[in-house]
Amino acid sequence: MAWDLIVILTVPFAVSVVCWWAPVAVGRALTLASGVLVFVLALLLVPAHTTTALSGWLRVDALSVVFLVAVAFLYGAGAVFAIGYIRPAGDPASAARYNRRFFAGLNLFAWSMAMAPIVNGLALLWIAIEVTTVVSALLVAIDDTDGATEAAWKYVLIASMGLGIALLATIVMYYAGSTVFGGAYDLFYPKLLGAAGHFPPEVVRLSFVLAVLGYGTKMGLVPVHTWLPDAHSEAPTPISALLSGSLLVVSFYAILRFYQVTVRAVGPTFPRTVLLVFGVMSLLLAALYLARQRDLKRLFAYSSVEHMGILAIGMSFSAPIAIVGVLLHVLAHAAAKGTAFFGAGSVVLKFGTKDMTRIRGGIGALPWSGPMLVMAVLGLSAMPPFGIFRSEFLFVSGGLADPSDAIAAVLVVGVTLAMLGLSWFASQTMLTPSANGTVGGEASAWIVASMVIGLVALTILGVHPPGELSDLLRRAAGELGVAR
Amino acid sequence: MAVAPPVPSTFSGGAEAIALVVLLTEFAMLRAPLSRSQIRLYAFQSFAVSALAVFVAATQHIPELYILAAFSFTLKVVLVPGIVLRLLRDARVDLAGSNRLGVATMILIAIGISAFGFFVVGGLPVHSHSLPTAALGLAMAVVLVAFLLVILRSDVVSQAVGFFSLENGVSVASLVVASRLPLIVEVAFLFDLLVAVVVFGVLMRVHHGRAQTLSTEVLDRLKG
Amino acid sequence: MAAVELAPAQIQVFQVLTIVLFAPLVSGGIAHLEARLQGRRGPRILQPYYDLTKLFRKETLVPEDAGWVFMAAPIVAFTCYMIVPLLIPVLTAFPLPLGYMGDILGGAFILTLAGFAVALAAAETGGPYAQLGSSRAMTFGALIEPSILFVTFTVALVTTTDLPYFEAAAVRSSFSEWILPAHLLAALAFFLVVLNDTGRIPVETHASTLEFGMIDEARTLEHSGPLFALLKWGSAMKQFILYVLLVNVFIAPWGLAGSRDLGAVLVAIPILLAKAFGVGAVFTVIDNSFSKLRLFKLTEFMASAFLLAILAVLVLYLAGG
Repeated sequence: MAWDLIVILTVPFAVSVVCWWAPVAVGRALTLASGVLVFVLALLLVPAHTTTALSGWLRVDALSVVFLVAVAFLYGAGAVFAIGYIRPAGDPASAARYNRRFFAGLNLFAWSMAMAPIVNGLALLWIAIEVTTVVSALLVAIDDTDGATEAAWKYVLIASMGLGIALLATIVMYYAGSTVFGGAYDLFYPKLLGAAGHFPPEVVRLSFVLAVLGYGTKMGLVPVHTWLPDAHSEAPTPISALLSGSLLVVSFYAILRFYQVTVRAVGPTFPRTVLLVFGVMSLLLAALYLARQRDLKRLFAYSSVEHMGILAIGMSFSAPIAIVGVLLHVLAHAAAKGTAFFGAGSVVLKFGTKDMTRIRGGIGALPWSGPMLVMAVLGLSAMPPFGIFRSEFLFVSGGLADPSDAIAAVLVVGVTLAMLGLSWFASQTMLTPSANGTVGGEASAWIVASMVIGLVALTILGVHPPGELSDLLRRAAGELGVAR
Repeated sequence: MAVAPPVPSTFSGGAEAIALVVLLTEFAMLRAPLSRSQIRLYAFQSFAVSALAVFVAATQHIPELYILAAFSFTLKVVLVPGIVLRLLRDARVDLAGSNRLGVATMILIAIGISAFGFFVVGGLPVHSHSLPTAALGLAMAVVLVAFLLVILRSDVVSQAVGFFSLENGVSVASLVVASRLPLIVEVAFLFDLLVAVVVFGVLMRVHHGRAQTLSTEVLDRLKG
Repeated sequence: MAAVELAPAQIQVFQVLTIVLFAPLVSGGIAHLEARLQGRRGPRILQPYYDLTKLFRKETLVPEDAGWVFMAAPIVAFTCYMIVPLLIPVLTAFPLPLGYMGDILGGAFILTLAGFAVALAAAETGGPYAQLGSSRAMTFGALIEPSILFVTFTVALVTTTDLPYFEAAAVRSSFSEWILPAHLLAALAFFLVVLNDTGRIPVETHASTLEFGMIDEARTLEHSGPLFALLKWGSAMKQFILYVLLVNVFIAPWGLAGSRDLGAVLVAIPILLAKAFGVGAVFTVIDNSFSKLRLFKLTEFMASAFLLAILAVLVLYLAGG
């Protein structure tokens, strides 16, 4: 269904342009429509086989669809949330300008993130991710506070340096291919994967390490994650949700594409070891930092770093069931993190601050979003019946089947530490009754709706993922793995 | 008596000399005290990279590289320095921020990591038709020293110039190993760089607007 | 007229005599050129000779605390500067027998010995400026040593020996050798070393005696009379020797006598002088274009010279070029 891809290619971009000029209400409606449309189209792609469009420039296989669904879901849910959340203060003219800029940026950002999984080839992938960096940097700075400016500068500097390294990785991989294909060729995936067995091994190894360092910067792997807590906490909340839930995994997708080629060129041991090292560092560091956070959104940002570490560790396990778990985790984390940020937005709107020491009695003040936020936090901590429990269960069972099962133990320890940090937050802010009774009441029905959507998705993924989805995950895991 | 290493041809010697100029300008940026000098060094470095592209195009008979060299000249020697110089004029700031370490120390560290870059690349079995393999080591060294520039200097212009010079290093690397990359892909890369530069420029102005200075010393609110 | 063949020993004597006799001429020429560039008339080109003659006729005053080192140092320095021309390609393109006595490192040691002797004498005098100058000279001399070493290593890696004759021969052999990045880097590094050792901008202002910036000039403050004449002559010879090394080994090793013919050797002398004036002119232009670096920033200068020298070795090691 090639028209599917063409619609995803054009509609969000067009909506973004319209939002810049059109009145605010029109912009919001179009954003919502576009978000829902892209999500539906992504779901339609789930059972399909490999689709190409535009004479090969666009191509989706099972792996791409997994990530496309993650992006599209948060695009749709985020649009719902944004309509309820974005109410800029100040005079009508500047408020309208903020609104228009915000929604134009939101659509453009979602468009660029949707581009990355559907373009064909490493070169176009880099270009798509570079566009996401540029757009998201401007969105982080849109709030025009001291903190936002600082976060945006750090983000754009570090992420761009990382992408420079990733460009070098792409070029080195191009060189590896040119030993087989000769001087001029394009970096399309089928070509690369077909001939990867003949690439010179050291060159591919260098390329993979550079790719993990470069794209890992955008993914949030320690030690190049330093921009992440700042950017995710200072951005406007719908953007934070998209950053944490979708952008990080899109960068992970880029690493996975390099992983695919590397595994076929040098065997699975080297790439797995590299990912394991970075994964363990990210998991442990994030779990430790999680406990000392005072800022609500920063807490969730560190939780994202932790989950990215878990993804990397999961990829280092050799059992296929673990790879299925990784891909399921991508989807579940998008749902859970999105809901968590939506809840955080609701709390911030109610209490007027992000400082957790000053927020008390959340459940009382927010009769709907409060409990849902607690459930989202439980979901992030891998509690059943939510999706993350299922995916982490798959990891750990895959990891225990490995000869070195110590890593699975490290994984469990790290996750438990993170759970402690998150639970402390939940109990302090949400469950402790407040001294002065804050008037209960939701800020907006849209916000509640977005959280409901998120939780429903998370529960479905945890309790009983639809058959086609499971089939998709299995196919994608097959594409990633290699005949051992 | 050991055998002397083989003498490379004039072409590869000349090409290496230009690549060397790129690396030396990178080192000079470590030292430059004025922001204006940094930009001018960057413009000079980009000129050297464009010259290298023309060199490769002429000797390897790749006509597309001429177009690429023209684009990269317009973008990196004319446009980008122009944008940043305009910002400097508006900000009325002259001195670059202080270095975190002394210049001599920075040069010594930079030598160390360049040597690391050389040896990492030197071990690879890379045989390029376009440029001598040593140029790849030089490109890697440029990338690493650019990182040093970003880490050790404390004002936004130096950090931005560090990022731009990293792109220059990657361009040299691509001339060595990927000189026949399809033109449309190369142009897309350059266009992307332009967009990144615009965003850098916007954020630099926003930073200056808020903090009234181009130094990054004030960016220490967010910690932990 | 039949070609008169010179014995190698005679050619070596010619080399020493060339350096000894023509060094003040080179100094005078450079001073004159510098003045012209600044818009002044400037001293006569032969002025240094007149200065030396005048100094030899003056009396010698010795500070109270000075000992025999004070008297011996100028003579030791002068002798060293007479030995070095035996080792380097001054007039001939082919190695002379005594030329195997020492390589570049040997030559560098002898030059350093001369500098050491003068610094020791200055330290002995007890005068504050002299001591200041000698301690600074020793410090900065030590800081520039690594660059000299790495330049030597580059030469050794290219020609598998560090005799200067072979490097000159290698550079003469083809243009691609000259444009070899390692060679260019080594030449540039050596250029900076010469800048430092002859005390020119940006290291030191040789034209005036600013106490706070003096390094080399300060060491000779306390000497007078014939000893001072020997010191001045010696430093002019050192400058000429360094220029000879720079041009005849790295930058422009052409125009040297190819045979032992007297005519060829005699022709080599003016060619050498012309090349030395050329180098001097470059230094003069640098003098008039830049300002002196503050003393603590000289480490930047040393680091840059070191950088170039190390890059030369690394590039050579990496790729044979």
